[in-house]
Amino acid sequence: MAYQLYRNTTLGNSLQESLDELIQTQQITPQLALQVLLQFDKAINTALANRVRNRVNFRGSLNTYRFCDNVWTFVLNDVEFREVTDLVKVDKVKIVACDGKSESTQNKVDK
Amino acid sequence: MDESALERYFDDSIAGDSSFLLGEELGPESLDPAHSQQDSALQAVKAGSGAELGDELDLSFLPDDLGPQEEPDRHDDTAGGPAEALNVSGDSGVFTDFISQDSTAANSQQGGALLTHSTSPFCPMTPMTPMTPMTPVMERSGIIPQLQNIVSTVNLSCPLDLKFIALQARNAEYNPKRFAAVIMRIREPRTTALIFSSGKMVCTGAKSEEQSRLAARKYARVVQKLGFPAHFLEFKIQNMVASCDICFPIRLEGLVLKHQQFCSYEPELFPGLIYRMVKPRIVLLIFVSGKVVLTGNKL
Repeated sequence: MAYQLYRNTTLGNSLQESLDELIQTQQITPQLALQVLLQFDKAINTALANRVRNRVNFRGSLNTYRFCDNVWTFVLNDVEFREVTDLVKVDKVKIVACDGKSESTQNKVDK
Repeated sequence: MDESALERYFDDSIAGDSSFLLGEELGPESLDPAHSQQDSALQAVKAGSGAELGDELDLSFLPDDLGPQEEPDRHDDTAGGPAEALNVSGDSGVFTDFISQDSTAANSQQGGALLTHSTSPFCPMTPMTPMTPMTPVMERSGIIPQLQNIVSTVNLSCPLDLKFIALQARNAEYNPKRFAAVIMRIREPRTTALIFSSGKMVCTGAKSEEQSRLAARKYARVVQKLGFPAHFLEFKIQNMVASCDICFPIRLEGLVLKHQQFCSYEPELFPGLIYRMVKPRIVLLIFVSGKVVLTGNKL
């Protein structure tokens, strides 16, 4: 079963809100919404693993870390995200990372 | 008598070594058979090399008797000056008493070989037979080892839910498949703790005994704030590691010869000599450079 890590992303949240609206207007059943979300998990995991090629470097200072249930959670301060083209500076970033079968790490970012 | 024979052996080897040591500076002069020329030439070169040696070899840790020894370094024979310095470096504290007698004698007898003095009737202060398990009492040196690491244990005396701690506390790692404890770190004092589900905890990385105790208390407070009835029982320091530099090279082979029941030296396995001192019960890792690591000290 794929990680449900990506449900709390911009894309995942929009999907969940849309599904909730459809449930409210009785156009779909909650069971169907659950199936949609499961399919979303599978799709986003394979897409990120196979269709993403670019690389981003980031550097910051570590505030806290946690490792439990094979999930790493980091909070970094004063981080610079650097891609070949651009640079983004952030005061605080929270990274949640699950074990990738290949070398990809998934993360979600909060400002 | 065994001992004086050993010392004679040492002096012979040192006499050989010293000419090798100064060979670079003296060059062909060391081979010059003419004694008077050799002395004056040697004195001139010795003043230079003695100064170099004196600068590198910080002899301030030696007892006060040896203060004027730096002067005789310049005046003595090839074998004399650096031999004395090397004697001091190579041998145990007992021998420094020996040297202190010799330096005053050597002062008056310029050019006299140290070799004759080594068999003088001066006896070392403590008996040094090979069968004695006790290491002789060292003269007080000015070298203070610096503490590098302290390992301590404490019992929080209550069962802990490690998963809960790992999820709630900051800077914690918990991977039960690999190791059955939570690994937590704090920044001040910079330490790492292993916290087990039984309530026992190991605290490592502190640079002093008081810091180790303080750090252990901080971890106990973290656990307490998470809701566990933590106490602070049986805090005990299990190991202290210190290091120091004695500022002169050491001949490990010589050390093994004289203290063989304490030393283990396998240069092919590890470049340091492992000296297991009996009283106090300490293990020292002694390296050729003069760096010494002391460990095994329980409080």
